[in-house]
Amino acid sequence: MNMKKSLVAIPLSLSLLIPTAGAVSAHGHGGSHSGNHAAAGSLEVSNKAVDLRAALDALLSEHAYLAVVTMQKGIDGSGDFDAAAGALNQNTEDLSKAVASVYGEEGGAAFKEIWSSHIGYFVDYVKATGAKDEEGKKKAMAELDKYRVEQAAFLDKATESRLKAKELEEGLKVHVNQLVWAFDNYVAGDFEKTYDSVRESVHHMYGVGKGLSWAITDQFPQNFDNKSVDTPAADLRADLNHLLSEHAALAILAMQKGADGAKDFDAAAGALSENTDDLSAAIASVYGEEGGAAFKEIWSSHIGYFVDYVKAAGANDEEGKKKAIAELDEYRVEQAKFLETATEGRLKAADLEAGLKMHVDELLKAFDSYVAKDYATTYPTVREAYAHMFEVGKGLSTAIVDQHPDKFAGQMPGDMPKTGMGGMSEQNSSKEIVMGSIIALALAGLLSALIIRRKSMN
Amino acid sequence: MKKSMIAAAAFLLLAGCTADGNKPEERKESVQKVESGEAAASSPTALTPPDQLKEESLGILPVSIEIPAIGVDAPVENVGELENGQMGVPENIDGVGWFEPGTKPGDRGNAVMAGHVDSKTGPAVFYKLDKLKPGDEVILKDKSDTVRTFVVTGKKSFPRKKAPVEDIFGFSYQSNLNLITCTGEFNRKARTHEERLVVYTELKK
Repeated sequence: MNMKKSLVAIPLSLSLLIPTAGAVSAHGHGGSHSGNHAAAGSLEVSNKAVDLRAALDALLSEHAYLAVVTMQKGIDGSGDFDAAAGALNQNTEDLSKAVASVYGEEGGAAFKEIWSSHIGYFVDYVKATGAKDEEGKKKAMAELDKYRVEQAAFLDKATESRLKAKELEEGLKVHVNQLVWAFDNYVAGDFEKTYDSVRESVHHMYGVGKGLSWAITDQFPQNFDNKSVDTPAADLRADLNHLLSEHAALAILAMQKGADGAKDFDAAAGALSENTDDLSAAIASVYGEEGGAAFKEIWSSHIGYFVDYVKAAGANDEEGKKKAIAELDEYRVEQAKFLETATEGRLKAADLEAGLKMHVDELLKAFDSYVAKDYATTYPTVREAYAHMFEVGKGLSTAIVDQHPDKFAGQMPGDMPKTGMGGMSEQNSSKEIVMGSIIALALAGLLSALIIRRKSMN
Repeated sequence: MKKSMIAAAAFLLLAGCTADGNKPEERKESVQKVESGEAAASSPTALTPPDQLKEESLGILPVSIEIPAIGVDAPVENVGELENGQMGVPENIDGVGWFEPGTKPGDRGNAVMAGHVDSKTGPAVFYKLDKLKPGDEVILKDKSDTVRTFVVTGKKSFPRKKAPVEDIFGFSYQSNLNLITCTGEFNRKARTHEERLVVYTELKK
């Protein structure tokens, strides 16, 4: 959690997964051209700008996830509602601190007030839904419409119109609609639509994170070493951060649903499965179809062991739980070996095993505490598990970019195009010469006329 | 890499729920607390989805460009980066080059197109680019005639070595299209014009 609090002010220097992450910076000025290449640094997976983007991605996407969870717990009247809402509020605190680190304490406080208001309106919507109060729902939606305008105006002003209110209002509309759609379908029992929208709502926030981090780094370039958030390497890190953290988020939720025997368990597990497909496709895009398939098999196995653990816990089968944990231990070794081989040793198996142990331990802790109704432990652990995956994403993308620099060349040229051959300029020049000659001739004529005149006067 | 990953993610987000063989059976002893549990247990209510449920990508692969205000109606060809680092230019003197490694016109960011101001013998496609005024329209089409219209917001000339390349080609939260041609004196020695003109446009929504 420490990382989240200080992330904007003090970019992360410590990678839990890869001690040598910084090594990639040495390639920073890579690219196919020498000289004053504008996209210099495009191979950096981590620098002040890209770290800001990752930090905002983490908080914004976590907001969407926790909002979905909190709304579900709210309508269900679940015992962990307060703890989930508390985690959502803690996320708001962190986000406001991040805003304050850029726009000052006052800016952070103003942001927090506006941002919190929209969470309040979502709560109103949930309450009205529970009370079957159609008017109340409409009122909450109307408040959310007002919120959009206010939030957009705030960000437009803060970023000096790098983010335009009109565009922001549209983006916020999508965010609001996605959360409401996920919730309405949850209430209506259409869980396929629910979880499609959950995934969309999380994904949407990465566009917001990129836009906001771009605006901030454009506005205060000196604070970010003039680095860009918009590079293929930064995009890879964001993509992996997204899929890995979504994995943790959906795994935790599916495990809870499994323990509860909830009707949306299948859909939640299905969403987790889709996430695995996406992650495997991402791996395949770097390491080929075979690599993607091998990854998928190993990765899916650990989800299976988590499921075994949930089943065993439900049956009070201590032996079964132990067996699942033993399987997870074996999984860690296999997964670590796979990644070490794939990255040709850029990721070390020992570091990977340690990182994976953290992931497994966090998920089990979140689950065990949930089952034990120790929700005060559950939700901070959920947040840790979520944040941890951003470290994994950073480590994995660092290794991939270092291994395949050619795939992450800059997207902008070093120089402007040469869009003229001078034909019109040369024509102009010759015209000028002609005109000059005419004037010269005229002057000569005038002169001779004068001379003649003077002669005649004489 | 980036494109394929995003494409894969976007595609899979749309895909339906995949079956997972490894699911625990629902445990019947647990309490179903969903208030609307009964409604859920019957048939799911079909809700009407709101219109803005997703941010659609508006990017297109342009094949033609029209700028009615200056009589341009030209084919678009993809260009990249030359060995010397310069943005490439269209082979067709009357064509316009889109910087294909960059942003797609319509997507968030700055899409860039370049056209010649003149050939060796006379005017070329962007000869009158400097005559564009704020409000003038630039119309792009892709091969299936999907249209994206951009509106001129301003223009600026830069010394050829001092153009802010990162601003012209970099990211933006808006969907912009920047048109480039040459302007200023033709430097015979360097065989190029001394300045580059950038006409800024933004997507009309």
